Amino acid sequence: MSLGTKTLRRLIGSPVSAYDQKSAMLFLAPMMVILTVVAVFPILYSFWISLFDLKLTRPHRVPFVGFDNYANIFQDQMFWDSVGRSTSFTLMSVAAIMFIAMLMALLLNEEFRGRRILSAILLIPWAIPYVANGLMWKWIYDSGYGALNGLLFQLGLIDKYAVMLGDVHKTMLLITNSFVWKEVPLATILLLVTLKSIRADLYSAAKVDGANVWQRFIHITLPALTPGFALVMIYETMMAIRHFDLFFILTEGGPADASHVVAWQVYVETFRKLAFGTGAALAYIMAIVTFTLAFFIIRSTSRKL
Amino acid sequence: MKIPHLGRRALLFFASLLFAMYVLAPIAWLVSSSFQSEAEITSVPPHWIPHQPTLENFSTIFTAKDQVVTYDTRKEGDTASGGFIPSTAKNLLPSMWNSLVVAVSVVILNLLVSVPAAYALAKIRFIGRDSSIYFMLTTRVIPDIALVVPFFLFVQQLGLLDSKLSLIITYLAITVPFSTFILTGYFESLPDDLDKAARVDGCSRLQTLTLVYLPLALPSLVAVVLFTFLTSWNEFLLALMFTQTLASQTMPIVVASFTSDFTISFSFINAAGVLAIVPPVVVAIMFERYIVSGLTAGAVKG
Repeated sequence: MSLGTKTLRRLIGSPVSAYDQKSAMLFLAPMMVILTVVAVFPILYSFWISLFDLKLTRPHRVPFVGFDNYANIFQDQMFWDSVGRSTSFTLMSVAAIMFIAMLMALLLNEEFRGRRILSAILLIPWAIPYVANGLMWKWIYDSGYGALNGLLFQLGLIDKYAVMLGDVHKTMLLITNSFVWKEVPLATILLLVTLKSIRADLYSAAKVDGANVWQRFIHITLPALTPGFALVMIYETMMAIRHFDLFFILTEGGPADASHVVAWQVYVETFRKLAFGTGAALAYIMAIVTFTLAFFIIRSTSRKL
Repeated sequence: MKIPHLGRRALLFFASLLFAMYVLAPIAWLVSSSFQSEAEITSVPPHWIPHQPTLENFSTIFTAKDQVVTYDTRKEGDTASGGFIPSTAKNLLPSMWNSLVVAVSVVILNLLVSVPAAYALAKIRFIGRDSSIYFMLTTRVIPDIALVVPFFLFVQQLGLLDSKLSLIITYLAITVPFSTFILTGYFESLPDDLDKAARVDGCSRLQTLTLVYLPLALPSLVAVVLFTFLTSWNEFLLALMFTQTLASQTMPIVVASFTSDFTISFSFINAAGVLAIVPPVVVAIMFERYIVSGLTAGAVKG
């Protein structure tokens, strides 16, 4: 639904009445106050904190250090390693989410009996808490008795149970799988909306021209899905970069730092080392990256509002 | 149709089966193992369907408050019967109550704040409308992890650490922009003429909102209530930072604490996991239509 023209029409009319101006201000005031107090002020305050060497282990001496916290972070190999891990986690997750969600959306776009049931159960992973999701997968991945080991064993793919989350080579893949499973439903819904907006006459025209199913998919469906893909990509990238819960539940950054991502480092610096200055600086770097991504969303959104 | 009718049906059936398995298999395994004793879930290979289903894991949770869990009682507890329960087991039900209180409070406050704001943004002409929209959209994308440090210092200075109030306030930060956004879009889609007619009839702005638009906006209100409820019910990171005791610990925190117990009893944890997912899953399936339309409106436009 496009909101631009309506708004424009309303804005071009007569001058703003004083009563309307006053009521609008009153109606907006609670939201403005709340968001200023709980969002804007904290994010500015966070930047201020990041300029100090604030350690809760040493609360009475808080020297101003300027951008030293940032400089230290950028010189720390651990930081760059975790940026690498966050990046690979994000790339793997987003690619898998887009692929699986596309298949699911294509299925739900068909008319058949049982479609309603599928779209209802699709919401289950989306609705459950990340903590429960984490516990569930931790049990599935269990090296001693887990379902994944059991399944691979019964299928004859392994001779004996293998180490799963404790294996540095598998841990990120397994965490990615848990994340993807929970994020796929939202992506599917978004892609489905895009699919529904494709005009049916495009397909019938292509059929008349003799295009087969595969050709229609490549030449009509895929290009039409581009805006949906873009939206999913930006949104899920923002989600993956900041993701914390599964790393906490499944591995706590281990084994041997194999899943030590940036979000986990923020937690370690802040609440384990109690180095609030460094934690704030790290979180600020993440916020800036997220904002840069979100900029594209806001730009396309505000054009519509 | 190029694909023959029967072939199409077989393909759809096969695809639906894969779809359902991908979504449901992990959940089904969680539910199945929550009805198995510790002895049974540690069988190799696993029993996909419980051979001797038991409700013991659930009864442990509901009776945990009477049990004193010490190192000795736990050592005596028979591993095979699921006797090793986490020392925090008795906290689960009170924490679900905390989650409920926090979620309901956030839902109410959220509506009080976002409904009038959304109406103003959608239906009133005033100076500063565009900048207000930019403001709301910008706050929507602040990542929660960037708010952790300043929030913690605020909450600590206000003496609100370990209180439900600290969670309620901070959850507003992550839910209000989204709610306002969805509601603004919905109000925009309702006809302007209603607004004019009500105003001509002598309704004040407040009356126009409450008497004319609110009843019409019911579907989007339901969606907003659901999102806010689920977000608050499921939130983990901020709760992990601010809560220390049962005065404020929410369900995700207590459930997570089970995993840090070294004598972990998976049969117990699975039952706790099932309890944790039941409320959101019921809500999601009951209100599927509202959720899908809300998600679509909310995410497609931002």
